[in-house]
Amino acid sequence: MNYHFDWTPIWAARGLIAEGLAMTVALSAAALVFSTVIGLIVGGAAAAGSRAARALALAFTETMRNIPLLIHMYIWYMALAFLRLPAFSCAVLGLSLYSGAYVAEVVRAGIGAVGRGQMQAALATGLTRFQAMRYIVYPQALRIIAPSLASLFSQLIKDSSLASVIAVAELTYQAGAIEGQTFRTFEVYITISLIYLVLVTAASQLVLLIPGSRNEAAAGRFADA
Amino acid sequence: MPDVILKNLPFLLNGLWLTIDLSMWSIVLGTLLGLVAGTVRFVRVPVLDTVALVYIEFIRGTPLLVVLFITYFAFPALFGYHTTAYRAAISGFVLFIGAYLAEDFRSGLRAVRPGLIQAGLATGLTRWQVLRHIILPQAVRRVLPSLFNQYVRLIKFTSVASVIGVTELTGAGLLVNARDFHPVTILATIAIVYLVLCIALSMAGRALYAHFAVRT
Amino acid sequence: MLKRLSMLTAAALAAAAMLAAPAAQAQTQDTLAQIKSRGKLIAGVKFDTPPFGFLDDKNQPVGFDLDIVRGIAKHIGVPVEFVKVTSPTRIPLLVSGNVDLSAASMTHTVERDKTIDFSITYYTGAQALIVPKASSIHGLKDLAGKQVSVQQGTTLEKNIAKVAPQAKVVAFKDYNSAWLALVQGRVDALTGSMNILQGFQKDNASFVILPDRFSVEPFGIGVRQGDSGLRDAINFALIDMWKSGEYAELYRKWFHAEPEIPVEVWP
Repeated sequence: MNYHFDWTPIWAARGLIAEGLAMTVALSAAALVFSTVIGLIVGGAAAAGSRAARALALAFTETMRNIPLLIHMYIWYMALAFLRLPAFSCAVLGLSLYSGAYVAEVVRAGIGAVGRGQMQAALATGLTRFQAMRYIVYPQALRIIAPSLASLFSQLIKDSSLASVIAVAELTYQAGAIEGQTFRTFEVYITISLIYLVLVTAASQLVLLIPGSRNEAAAGRFADA
Repeated sequence: MPDVILKNLPFLLNGLWLTIDLSMWSIVLGTLLGLVAGTVRFVRVPVLDTVALVYIEFIRGTPLLVVLFITYFAFPALFGYHTTAYRAAISGFVLFIGAYLAEDFRSGLRAVRPGLIQAGLATGLTRWQVLRHIILPQAVRRVLPSLFNQYVRLIKFTSVASVIGVTELTGAGLLVNARDFHPVTILATIAIVYLVLCIALSMAGRALYAHFAVRT
Repeated sequence: MLKRLSMLTAAALAAAAMLAAPAAQAQTQDTLAQIKSRGKLIAGVKFDTPPFGFLDDKNQPVGFDLDIVRGIAKHIGVPVEFVKVTSPTRIPLLVSGNVDLSAASMTHTVERDKTIDFSITYYTGAQALIVPKASSIHGLKDLAGKQVSVQQGTTLEKNIAKVAPQAKVVAFKDYNSAWLALVQGRVDALTGSMNILQGFQKDNASFVILPDRFSVEPFGIGVRQGDSGLRDAINFALIDMWKSGEYAELYRKWFHAEPEIPVEVWP
């Protein structure tokens, strides 16, 4: 079997690829927002909440992140079938819970790094606990954790490919569709790999736009979750 | 235990065994690949350094599912060789985890201060002794937590092999579900098994880390 | 960063281009000789498409396609190893050399014939719709605006889009997921090959197969393009199985009916 490269079917299917890309971006963006919200709440509770809140937060993160994302996708898709949620919402839910647990861990560590003294000083100046978190602790923590967040979010974009198994028509799903019609296996997957590469790189650059996050010390903490 | 699980227990256990088998091979081979690629990047071996960089950046920008499609469909078509879903899954996992581990190893090696090595040599230790007692413990200690993070991640990721037709735990569960139709029971059971596997491996990692921490 | 990215892209493309060189070497084409020297036939079959290929109560793969392949292997004189394929993977796995043949309830189409070769038709299916008994859908004309599940990468997917352009087609990677989507009420109908739908319906009396038949699906066994040695062996085996009555026996076993359309027999 000689493999002859033929990129014309890929170009011919550019409409489908663009649709898939738009869906991947929409899916990732929605999951990014929800996982950040989950991460801030759960991570905040894990770092600064009561004993019960900390236990709950720990149980949440350990459970959510130790279940494979693929299982998350199937569970929310099949278990919530009676709600007749569209597959897209199920994918957002699964992706947000899974990534949210990772974000929570990062947020918890970030708040821990800001230090108790800061919080106590803020409380001493008469700020409420919420104000102290909002104005003193979170902004500093955000700067510290920005590189880890960048890494998590690029992870999230790649992970969104698993939504294809529940028929969300994102990039990987469309790649399968194009592959099935044209049989240009290699060309299709190389093309979408490169698209993911560009997306992921762009996304991680965006997160690093957070003021003050682009210094060397922070970059040194860059960790993959 | 629910009926549907009991009835299909041997089949599901087979799947679990395959999950463990896939994970073990991928962890061992992936760690080797990561160590080599990370060292090449650290030492800056000419040419190989660029190859390693392209490999690492490419994999880190590509979803695992796509990597598996490439190792199962694209590479055999391109190079004209025969593979199985099992072997394609392992090669995909090794390529995938190797790229992340390479970055971890590189940062671990970077963290060992040159001053320590010189000090070791100055006190009359041989090169081997410096490597054994100074560089390795430092690098390993530094890298261990991220290594185990990646291993845990890999165990979860082996579920993706079901998409290319490997009947590991997830694949077995989905096949059983297709016939007996108890999605919630089956998926919840599988989820708990992964949860136990992953938490056990994390704990092993922490114990090992503590062990190394005491010795240095 | 942009510079680094473009450098990476260029490097990846260069690598892809270089990879084309070794691929230009011709692979040995004689799969039949390979099968004999290897001592086994590697066949791609489905595990999720009753009654063609599915898992029985003991989780063993069984089905019409598997029995047909066993008959072919007997003719060649080797044992079979079955590899699980799905609709989107059955052709890539064949083209990439991972299986010797694909017997996966696959319709022989002109378009597919440009990529792979097919045996003579060993089964003729018709596409139909299955819906819940209480459904308001009674035929193709009621599909406007409804969701219909189907498998990705099939003729079924294209046909339904053609005969019911107003329907919203939801494509899944395997039959199971498409079927589960119907059972769970996520879609309003499932379209598939008649006998496959009957296979699903057997254990689920609350679903009905609608009388509409749209399209004829001649199933062929796929081999690699130009692999005429193996294709001959398959054709001869199929013809012999028809003549000996083995085919009819298998047909009765899996479809509980007499074969309506004979396998073409060469004089």
